Amino acid sequence: MTLVRHTAVIARKDLAIEIRGRHALGTLLPFAATLLVAFGFAFGPGREILARVAPGLLWMAVLFSAVIASRRAYQSETEDGALEGLLLAPIDKAAIFLGKATAVTAELLALVIAVLGLVIVLFEMPVGSPVPLVAAFVLGSVGLAVVGSLFGVVAESARTREAIFPMLVLPLVTPVLIAGVRATDLAAAGRTDDALAWLGLLAAFDIVFVSVGILVFGSLMED
Amino acid sequence: MAATAERALGRATSRSGERVLGVSAFIALGVSAVLSLVVAPPDAVQGEVQRLMYVHVPAAWLAYLSFFVVFVSSIAYLRTRRTRWDRLAEASAEIGVLFTALAIALGMLWGKPVWGTWWTWDPRLTTTAVLLLIYIGYLSIRRISDNPARRARWAAVVGIVGFIDVPIVHLSVVWWRSIHQGSTVFRLGGPDIEGTMLLALLVGVAAFTVTYAYLLTLRLRVGRLEERAIREALAPTVETPA
Amino acid sequence: MRTLPDPSVRVRDTAVDLRSVTRLFGTVPAVVRVDLSIDRGEAVVLRGPNGAGKSTLLRIVATAISPTFGGGSVLGFDLIADREQIRARCELLTHRTRLYEELTALENVRVFTDLLELEPERADRALERVGLSAEAGERVRGFSSGMRQRVAIARTIARDPDLLLLDEPATALDQAARELVGSVIVDASARGRTVLIATHHDVPDGLHARVVSMRDGRIGAAA
Repeated sequence: MTLVRHTAVIARKDLAIEIRGRHALGTLLPFAATLLVAFGFAFGPGREILARVAPGLLWMAVLFSAVIASRRAYQSETEDGALEGLLLAPIDKAAIFLGKATAVTAELLALVIAVLGLVIVLFEMPVGSPVPLVAAFVLGSVGLAVVGSLFGVVAESARTREAIFPMLVLPLVTPVLIAGVRATDLAAAGRTDDALAWLGLLAAFDIVFVSVGILVFGSLMED
Repeated sequence: MAATAERALGRATSRSGERVLGVSAFIALGVSAVLSLVVAPPDAVQGEVQRLMYVHVPAAWLAYLSFFVVFVSSIAYLRTRRTRWDRLAEASAEIGVLFTALAIALGMLWGKPVWGTWWTWDPRLTTTAVLLLIYIGYLSIRRISDNPARRARWAAVVGIVGFIDVPIVHLSVVWWRSIHQGSTVFRLGGPDIEGTMLLALLVGVAAFTVTYAYLLTLRLRVGRLEERAIREALAPTVETPA
Repeated sequence: MRTLPDPSVRVRDTAVDLRSVTRLFGTVPAVVRVDLSIDRGEAVVLRGPNGAGKSTLLRIVATAISPTFGGGSVLGFDLIADREQIRARCELLTHRTRLYEELTALENVRVFTDLLELEPERADRALERVGLSAEAGERVRGFSSGMRQRVAIARTIARDPDLLLLDEPATALDQAARELVGSVIVDASARGRTVLIATHHDVPDGLHARVVSMRDGRIGAAA
């Protein structure tokens, strides 16, 4: 399908830019790591407390990173006005939305892999059921990336005040935060069956927002 | 069906329609006040404080009704690109955010004497709080662009996405809270709600709805005046659309 | 019964047909009640002082922005309803190069040949034409402004659009790049492509162009 092809072109382009610009590694990873260490100081040093809040803190780090990464995904488009080039390409504009969401998801997953180790060590988070744990982060990252990529185009299109983008995204991704933390908590405790309901919620969120995003993204891009 | 809706809206927003709504709202609120404060008996467990329900519930109902109107108008705008739908969405959002804030404030006021604390993450109240944040996001995005068409389109997207998100938020909060077996303090319904209490509640809901409609017509009139002023300022330079 | 076409009916193959197009930014009019008609294969130069609305008008023709009032057609397709069709057949060159800093010159051109489903070799040939074969594999970040413009021109050459729109193509270019742009324009015109240039510089040698003047958002008498 053409949409899939175009999505791939844009996702590939974005990932190439990110890898070469080393933004994901150079900025996001230190940011997330610093955040988690800071959380450690703020909530610690009691081991029980840290183990309890580990999932929440991890998701906070992922959430903030998603906001930064989504924003960054559109910054490469505004340096030389490249976004207009994509607008004027005779493609379904939804490909831009999906392509960027794909790239941001990949970045977030790379980040998660990197900091998960950190959290398991620093906060002594157990890993009861690895499969639902991974699934939670995959589904959650998709949800965050999708909402971020949807409104990221607004954040870069006009003279915007800094805070508008997180203000739009954060309330909307509340279900991802809640479900993600709960699923991670349950998976860490080895309670796979209980985690499944939350994973289902995450999946539903993803499907809904991808679908709606495809329908409305063009309206956000056009002038 | 769209045509009848537009005609009804046209009738309601005329000057006489506005006056009728205003008077009806006043009367309805008066009746509701009497019913809730005087006629309905105090709650067996919570006492007089429970009367806050007669304002809190209608306010909450309106918070969601307003956003539903924003949702429908936003879809209508994206499909037809007619500014009247954007005006309706904007008006409903501005009124809705007030009712949402009111509902939350009243919920907290009601909760304090009953729970002993201001906030217990009650599912309905929490979802309403998230709704408030989404409303604020909707109103904020309207401030970014000075291009009316762009502003309307962006707002419409937030209106649509936000409304679709609300049920998902509610579901997640309900599941989240169910872990802690908290009782929902807002005992609204159930078979043991007394007859007059139910009547007072329903009248309250109706009164607030009429008030909402009245405020809407006022706000729409302001919007029309704003637009007329802009059009007149531009007229010497530009041709205006039919 | 007529066997021959009626000679009194002139069949014009129009490339651009704008009717009473107006564009406001907020309450500021940039383009006011513009009627513009350009035949296929014509070359038209849009002259006017800064702030006359030339750039805005070009962007409306390119469908980068939509008119606030009025409408028309470009290459036979409706300006508002068939934007993607117009975008498939025209290219807008402005002083903004719309490049991705971290991608190579070749990759920058390839993004668009891929999206437009053209053969990838067209990108290589286009870069050769603009004299950037040697630098094709280098990241654009290190390029001079003249080289960047040449990459943008290469993008246009690879596409070979039916309608070429240029906004101040000579500005901020070195002599070599300016001559290159000139030759591309003349070449395109010679091959029957329609060209619309907004400039207050001289027209490239060898281009027979009709001049349309613009001032304060309005079109003056065509020369």
